[in-house]
Amino acid sequence: MLYLRELKKVMFSFSYILFVIIAVFALFSQGVLDFADNIISEPVAGGNYGAKREEIPEVIMPAALQSLYIEFQENNYKCYPVGFLKNVKLNDEEQMRIAEIIADITGMDVDEIYRTQGAVRSNGNDVFFGVSDNKNLSYAAFQERMQEVDDILGGGSSYAKEALIGFGTVSVSYEDACTAYGLATGQDQITGGYARLFSDYAVAMVFAIFPVFLAVIISMKDHHAKMSELIYTRKAPGIRIVGMRYLAVLTAVMIPAVILSYVSNAAVWGMYQGMELDYFAPLKYDFGWIMPTAMMSIAVGMFFTELTNTPIAIAVQGIWWFIDLNVGMRSVSAAYSLMRLAPRHNADSSSYFRTQDFIDNFSNLVCNRLLFTAFSILLVAAAAVAFEAKRKGKINGNHEIKRIFAGIKNRRD
Amino acid sequence: MDDCIVIKNLNKFYGKKQALYDVNLRIEKGMFGLLGRNGAGKTTLMKTLVTLLQKKSGEITVCGVPIENEKEIRKIIGYLPQEFSMYPTMNVYEAMDYLAILSGLGKSERKERIEMLLSQVNLAENKNKKVKALSGGMKRRLGIAQALLGNPKVLIVDEPTAGLDPEERIRFRNLLSEIAEERIVILSTHIVGDIEATCENIGILDKGKVLYSGTVDRLLTAAAGKVFTRTVSRQELSHLKKELLITEMHTQGKQVYIRYVAENAADGSVPCEPNIEDAYMLYLKENGTELTGLSKGEIGGEG
Repeated sequence: MLYLRELKKVMFSFSYILFVIIAVFALFSQGVLDFADNIISEPVAGGNYGAKREEIPEVIMPAALQSLYIEFQENNYKCYPVGFLKNVKLNDEEQMRIAEIIADITGMDVDEIYRTQGAVRSNGNDVFFGVSDNKNLSYAAFQERMQEVDDILGGGSSYAKEALIGFGTVSVSYEDACTAYGLATGQDQITGGYARLFSDYAVAMVFAIFPVFLAVIISMKDHHAKMSELIYTRKAPGIRIVGMRYLAVLTAVMIPAVILSYVSNAAVWGMYQGMELDYFAPLKYDFGWIMPTAMMSIAVGMFFTELTNTPIAIAVQGIWWFIDLNVGMRSVSAAYSLMRLAPRHNADSSSYFRTQDFIDNFSNLVCNRLLFTAFSILLVAAAAVAFEAKRKGKINGNHEIKRIFAGIKNRRD
Repeated sequence: MDDCIVIKNLNKFYGKKQALYDVNLRIEKGMFGLLGRNGAGKTTLMKTLVTLLQKKSGEITVCGVPIENEKEIRKIIGYLPQEFSMYPTMNVYEAMDYLAILSGLGKSERKERIEMLLSQVNLAENKNKKVKALSGGMKRRLGIAQALLGNPKVLIVDEPTAGLDPEERIRFRNLLSEIAEERIVILSTHIVGDIEATCENIGILDKGKVLYSGTVDRLLTAAAGKVFTRTVSRQELSHLKKELLITEMHTQGKQVYIRYVAENAADGSVPCEPNIEDAYMLYLKENGTELTGLSKGEIGGEG
């Protein structure tokens, strides 16, 4: 009963209506509510099947080397240490070490490397050297040297061991395209691919960030409505009050997720008549992919609001979301890594939904989603502890923060 | 289980600042008025009794239940805080129902109790009205109704009549008196008139200390023969203000009628029966409370 009351309180609030409008608008603007132009068809021999990234040393090594040499020439290295672009400029000593690494790989003299500066155009077309045949450099040794480059650059470069695959772009063959098509129609039963694509956008654009606003507003409502003391002096335990609120906000958040995922998915059902479709695919992805992120966003909102009586959770979640979003999809494994707030799989019909990548990383995804679910539940339990402490006057929300800041200020004075 | 609240040597601190000093009180069934100026520690004491604040030391038992047993205390206490409101977009019935659920009432019990309480506080016809559309007086009555949802043995109301018009205030006092017939009701206020009209027993709190605890009659008896009235000119008034503890004054043409508390009557004064306000002021004065600049408006103007 408390759950239903809380649910009604959430769903009839202005902030919830705004949340739904934002969700619809954000997903509509990304084109994931209408996949009519995104239809897969069986590959025809002789066609173009797009590109893919593969860990082929023969492809990766020269491409990475070429990129490194161009950046060395300009002394301008593009890095993404915490997801944001950072143009790194090295000092002479560090540049010398990079030159030594290039020399080591190519078999050229360091002087020669410096001498050729300016002779190579930045588009890299004129790079005239490659990995030295004489050195018989293994891919593992190459990776080690590239990792050293990444370390010199402070991390987050394309030369990091796990990022090198970014240089492994190869054309998809007809056979590969047929395999991918088979997986998309078999394993994914078509609708799975669309549901995954919807989830990719939905999590990143909406459910990793906007539920926190809702959780904060709902949690602060007691304080604004001067209801806190009335609630604190009731019999109901904190875990029940906080838990029911959490479930209510989560339900309210998931309702548009489920509806929009079906709106998006059902639009293509008619285009695959006669094929076996998985009509439950949106539901599976809603609860398996989207929900753990929404759970985390709401839990962060409730925990920090209960603890501080301030909307600081929006800043916390906002920063996390922004960094996570900017980490992007530099490698397939990174897109599914354990700490990803919003796992990524931005693959549409042109790449046959890259079902194999999904299968390969499925266990990572499961671990990630389970971790987020467990951590969310822990945060909700912590929010209930904060609620109990507040109702007994043991902590007093933002008063504690003000006291800490006053203490710091006094110490400084 | 005892039908009383016993407070022994209660001390409460906010950080390093002490808010309550060795408070000792015994509160029996019926209306108990807790009187004190703003900042005297009334709200702190009320919040400690309803488990919203932790005591530093001392003992409190509410109907035999130690205050540390918060879960049991919450079952037997109803509370109307000083700044009372409810979710503005809910209607009266929904707001009551929400709090009734939190009080652990079952579905049929909730319906029955809410309807009974709303009619007791004269809000039955307004049950579908949004909380934000209620007048100040209606909100306070709703406040009493919500505090009684769990049929508590103790009802604690903190400054409930502040800001109410005279008619609503009288209605509210009568309501409290009715409710107090079967339970302990603690009325915390700085408005002397509220106490005078409703309470037989009172406690006077000042700067966190209990100055008086006992019957209203005993307090009045102590002030007997020490309250006088006199009519003075305006010129005299400024001089007398420094000498006398004036509890009431009003202008009558060029003259000013004053009522004051003193050990001995000044020339031209007429002795009169003390009221609680006089007795309260005398008590503060005799206990060394600084009363400089205190005027009637500050101690009980709303009463």
